[in-house]
Amino acid sequence: MLESLRRQVKRRTWRSVALLLLVVLVLAATYLSLVGQNAARGRHIQQLQSEYFRLRRENAQLEVKIAQASSIETLQRRAVEELGMEVVPPERMEFFVPLE
Amino acid sequence: MLEGPRRRVRLAEFVLIVLTLIVVAQLVQVQVLDAGFYRAWAAEQRERRITLDDPPRGVIRDRNGHLLAGNVVVYSVEATPSQVLDPVETARVLEGWLHTPRAQIQAELESDKLWVLLAPQVSKEIGDQIAEQELPGITVRPRWARAYPEGSLAAHVLGFCNVAGEGFYGVEGFHDMALRPRRIEREGPVDLFSQPVPWTVLPVVLPESGDALVLSLDRTIQAMVEQELAQAVMAYQADGGTIIVMDTRTFEILAMASLPNYDPGRYQEFVREDLSASVLPFTDPAISEQYEPGSVFKVLTVAAALDAGVVSPETTYYDPGWMEVGGVPIHNSSPDLQGEYTVADILIHSLNVGAAWLSTRMGADTFYHYLLGFGVGQRTGVDLAGEATGQVWTPNDYAYWHDANLGTNAFGQGVAVTPLQMITAVATVANGGERLRPYVVARRIAPDGTEFTHQRRVEAQVISPETAQQVAEIMVRTVDEAIPEAQVAGYRVAGKTGTAQIPVPGGYDPQGTIASFVGFGPWPEPQVVILVKLDRPRTSPWASHTAAPTFQRVMTRLFGMLRIPPQDVDMAQVVVP
Repeated sequence: MLESLRRQVKRRTWRSVALLLLVVLVLAATYLSLVGQNAARGRHIQQLQSEYFRLRRENAQLEVKIAQASSIETLQRRAVEELGMEVVPPERMEFFVPLE
Repeated sequence: MLEGPRRRVRLAEFVLIVLTLIVVAQLVQVQVLDAGFYRAWAAEQRERRITLDDPPRGVIRDRNGHLLAGNVVVYSVEATPSQVLDPVETARVLEGWLHTPRAQIQAELESDKLWVLLAPQVSKEIGDQIAEQELPGITVRPRWARAYPEGSLAAHVLGFCNVAGEGFYGVEGFHDMALRPRRIEREGPVDLFSQPVPWTVLPVVLPESGDALVLSLDRTIQAMVEQELAQAVMAYQADGGTIIVMDTRTFEILAMASLPNYDPGRYQEFVREDLSASVLPFTDPAISEQYEPGSVFKVLTVAAALDAGVVSPETTYYDPGWMEVGGVPIHNSSPDLQGEYTVADILIHSLNVGAAWLSTRMGADTFYHYLLGFGVGQRTGVDLAGEATGQVWTPNDYAYWHDANLGTNAFGQGVAVTPLQMITAVATVANGGERLRPYVVARRIAPDGTEFTHQRRVEAQVISPETAQQVAEIMVRTVDEAIPEAQVAGYRVAGKTGTAQIPVPGGYDPQGTIASFVGFGPWPEPQVVILVKLDRPRTSPWASHTAAPTFQRVMTRLFGMLRIPPQDVDMAQVVVP
């Protein structure tokens, strides 16, 4: 009787230990999973930021290129050299004023 | 158990217990007592101050949105010698792109240094090509550089920005803090390569660029003005010059150009060790250079006398051709100029004696009260770095002021102004006697889109609107009757010439003059005022032969650009079938 009781207690103890271990394992796995997800998200954010910064640099670079291509100096040079236009002195200018 | 083995077991137990206690003691020492030290040591190795990618400096645009100052990406090429696997091959590959001798690169790569800067600045194209090679131990790091796509256009107004991102002179200098980007720094864990480790998800806060500035300048007008100035300086063989175009109703500066100038994108090429800062081309003569204005100043003297009620435009006086004030003789520019004249004639014929007669009739207190009201001797407050004050001595400056100053100041001698001060004073006449604060930055736009617009600021009601009208009408007559070189076909304009001697130690330079013209139009509803100043023109010393025709050319083109129709144009009705 006593022996049976002792075995029962022992079995329950082992079960409790096993259950506890299982809970710890599940918690640890959950924690690891969360940390992993966070790290993945953090990495994704980093990549998006890098992409954003790269695009911002690209954008600024292109804006300056466009401004250079349409600068007064470039427009005047192209008008004179490529289109054969000439700079008109004020005395040769005539203005046509449309009626409102 | 036998006595011998038992004793040895006990001895072993004792030793183990002692060792365990030592370990426990060490653990307590490390984990509890010195925990703070070790925690800090670990953090020092693992955590760094991380700067998120530097945002760019704020851009500067003209009033129509054209980019005047922007940002481009350049790369610095760096090396970590310990990580370079093949210094010989790496040096061979980099040689062509960096334009540096192979031996020099190789020596750097084989050095014991932890970090080496191989090239501080290469273009984006070259940087991209080097990065594509993925050379071990070679890092290509992007950084911002200022770019001025219009070249030297409006150089003095813009100023420049150095490699460290600090603005100097002009708008870059004055609005430096607003233009600077907002960096974001935080402490965080990094990996072996000092790159942030994404262990935690941080709130996404992106670094913001500096504020964008929209100027009152019009790049087309600015280009035209610079072209005309260069042409005038060359045609009249002048040392340099300045042209300012300002809106008479708002005092916003539409164009401001001076020669000699520079390219702000290549400012380093203009820095010379043997030159002092004062002769470098970076300071803007339009706001920083002081000169004696000469007869243009008579506009202020006549305005003061009329507003003070001392005379009217029709008041006559006898001009003997010379007079003495404070023991100093004052002469008209020509001995033929003597006889009976009206106050209006003082401007029309530019009579020095008449101007001195007016100032002496007003008295020093009244005369200088008006000069200070016009802003002479004070900064205009324009939003550009490096503005000078000008100089006028009043009777309160007893150590410097003499009785003769009252006479000579009346026609612009013994007083120093900046070109911007002078045009602001004349614009006050065109604006009904109300002096506003001139400005260049019309709008400031924060990265979140919030806009700050320039607020009109009235500095003083210097003269009454009636007096301003009288003075302006005399200035119109001055151009109509005495300065045909400044007349603009189809329009009526007001103006006044000034041919000023250049003060040198001990007197005035007999060789050169400063020729200037200030005028506005179209009369009777003026919209723009223009100042032309030419330094030491050699073809003629007179403003009527140099500055006045330059004014005429600029004003003619300006009326067209601003679509101001000629007053004498015959309007035709076009019938579209």
